Amino acid sequence: MTTETSDVQRTDAFGQMPDEVKEILARPLQERDDIIICRNVYKWFGDFCVMNDVSIEVKRGEVMVIFGPSGSGKSTFIKMINRLEEHQRGDIIVDGIEMTNDIRNLDQIRREVGMVFQQFNLFPHMTVLGNVSLAPRRVRHLPRAEAESQAMELLERVGIPEQAAKYPAELSGGQQQRVAIARALAMEPRIMLFDEPTSALDPEMIKEVLDVMRELAETGMTMLCVTHEMGFAREVADRMAMFDEGSLVEVASPEKIFSEPDEERTQAFLRQIL
Amino acid sequence: MTTEAVTMRQTPEPPRTTVGLVGWLRGNLFKSWIDSVVTLAVAAVVVYGLWTLIVWVIGPADFAAVYSRFKLYFVGQYPVEELWRPQLSLLGISVLAGMAWRRWSGSNRIGLVFAIGLIIVTVAIGVAPLQMGIVNRVMLLLNPFAVAGGYFAMHLPRIGGDRLFAYSTIAVVLISLFIIPGATWIPGLNPVDAQAIGGLMLNLWLAVIGIAGALPFGILLALGRRSKLPFVKALCIAYIELIRGVPLITLLFMSRHILPLAFPGSFSINELYLGAITITLFSSAYVAEIVRGGMAAVPNGQTEAARALGLRAWQTTLTVTLPQALRNIIPPMVSQFISLFKDTSLVFIIGMLDIIEMGKVTIQGNLEFTEHGREVYLFIGLVFWILTYGMSWVSRAIERALGVGIR
Repeated sequence: MTTETSDVQRTDAFGQMPDEVKEILARPLQERDDIIICRNVYKWFGDFCVMNDVSIEVKRGEVMVIFGPSGSGKSTFIKMINRLEEHQRGDIIVDGIEMTNDIRNLDQIRREVGMVFQQFNLFPHMTVLGNVSLAPRRVRHLPRAEAESQAMELLERVGIPEQAAKYPAELSGGQQQRVAIARALAMEPRIMLFDEPTSALDPEMIKEVLDVMRELAETGMTMLCVTHEMGFAREVADRMAMFDEGSLVEVASPEKIFSEPDEERTQAFLRQIL
Repeated sequence: MTTEAVTMRQTPEPPRTTVGLVGWLRGNLFKSWIDSVVTLAVAAVVVYGLWTLIVWVIGPADFAAVYSRFKLYFVGQYPVEELWRPQLSLLGISVLAGMAWRRWSGSNRIGLVFAIGLIIVTVAIGVAPLQMGIVNRVMLLLNPFAVAGGYFAMHLPRIGGDRLFAYSTIAVVLISLFIIPGATWIPGLNPVDAQAIGGLMLNLWLAVIGIAGALPFGILLALGRRSKLPFVKALCIAYIELIRGVPLITLLFMSRHILPLAFPGSFSINELYLGAITITLFSSAYVAEIVRGGMAAVPNGQTEAARALGLRAWQTTLTVTLPQALRNIIPPMVSQFISLFKDTSLVFIIGMLDIIEMGKVTIQGNLEFTEHGREVYLFIGLVFWILTYGMSWVSRAIERALGVGIR
């Protein structure tokens, strides 16, 4: 269970970066290694092709924003990265682990990859502390005290240690989403997936969640974010990927996407939402 | 707007006719002339019925058939010298009541009322002028202390808590399972003839064992029905649908008369266990469907979140989906258990004498009581009502306690 799949030390979530990671992040994007590789990935729901020949590489420490119209396959794509959705053709390799149905692979990948959902999906029958410490206790088999002190640290990082004893329903949407981020970080992942993390939030709560994500990006976490927050994308993303009708339309830097995208479809979509 | 302006502004008061008792009466009972007529008609019927009942109870009614056979109604023909065994079982239940009181009294009075009710009943019976030995009186009167013991045990540092309550419940169920019928392999607990276990004790014993068995077995069946393994799934569906398609009375009859035909000679299980097993197997099919409904109502995002955190499928079920499902199905589950409790009287079909059957035997077997069936059935009805209403009351209290801060 403890096999390391890469020489790089884990970043202590939010915390100090090991030198190796600093060194990698110091390099320009093109010179870093690929942490996620998708090659000719297809998926169908019945006869309907939801993922059509998608090939993309994500670099270590990269923040990639995924956008596109609804029903374009953005969520399906990021859910394939931790196999909440199975791809049916092509290869997906996450940090050197090939995505197969082998349960040991699956365990390893789910430890590598944390996920934050649009609807938070906190466990309503557990306290905030219980939510954050559940997976470390059950999956990493940490003793309760250790898991809880680590959970408290994470709650401090996301700015809500005083809510630890409350139940999710007693928190605001923004606080719940920050708990969800802490919960995902508790497994010390190297990749974080965000599936429209601010879409279910009131406007005044969006900022507090984006601030946490911004801080997280600064620690060198590899992040895949499905989001419509274009301000966040412009500021934080290394690259942006546009999906439409199950296909990857265009991948480029935010500067290029916002000023002179290659594809007509990207331009049309951005005109609509900006 | 300044703060002064806020404090200056007067909140208008609601119209006088919509608040208080008058408001409630107007809003609910006398809203229109039709409402008023219905209210008065129903009130007349209720008052007349109650009046007739009271006049009858203080007048011609004779409860000799009840109080002269008190032991029969409560413990059947259980040997008098062995009565300490059901008494011990009752003391165990008192301890649990005390623990429940401590556990849930923070947000409501569930345990308090339960415990006080138990104390009143046991003390009343303990001091009542009935034919009862001193040992039995003393054991009955120990119940209040057992309640207190349970209450304070939950206070104990390190030991007290949910885990203590759970283990104690399991212990009381297991003790009751063996101590009342006895067994040859337990020294000091001579087996009691199955026919001698009767009265309310039989109903309660069957209900406790039935619930304790049907809950875990029903959960397993529900999980099996949701399983991805086709064989397991088919087996569970077949079991559930088969059992639900047959009335309990038929199952009891078959267990007593058909099974021995199918396995001649080798079938020596006594009626008590036969009844308990049949009731458990019957109820678990219904419990399974209730649990399955509860599991289906847990949003899919919960499973996704748990799987994304790396929890295995079984861990996801045990720590995330099942606890939420069980919490949501308390009302239908309690309905099922109330129905199970009432169904325990059907064991007369396999020759057991539960409290209702005891009433029938008393009325029909004694010439002086043949005219007093109404008194007997009124008493039995009251006992059933108190126990079933108590169950639904406790379940509502637990719901309220669990509802705090959830959803």
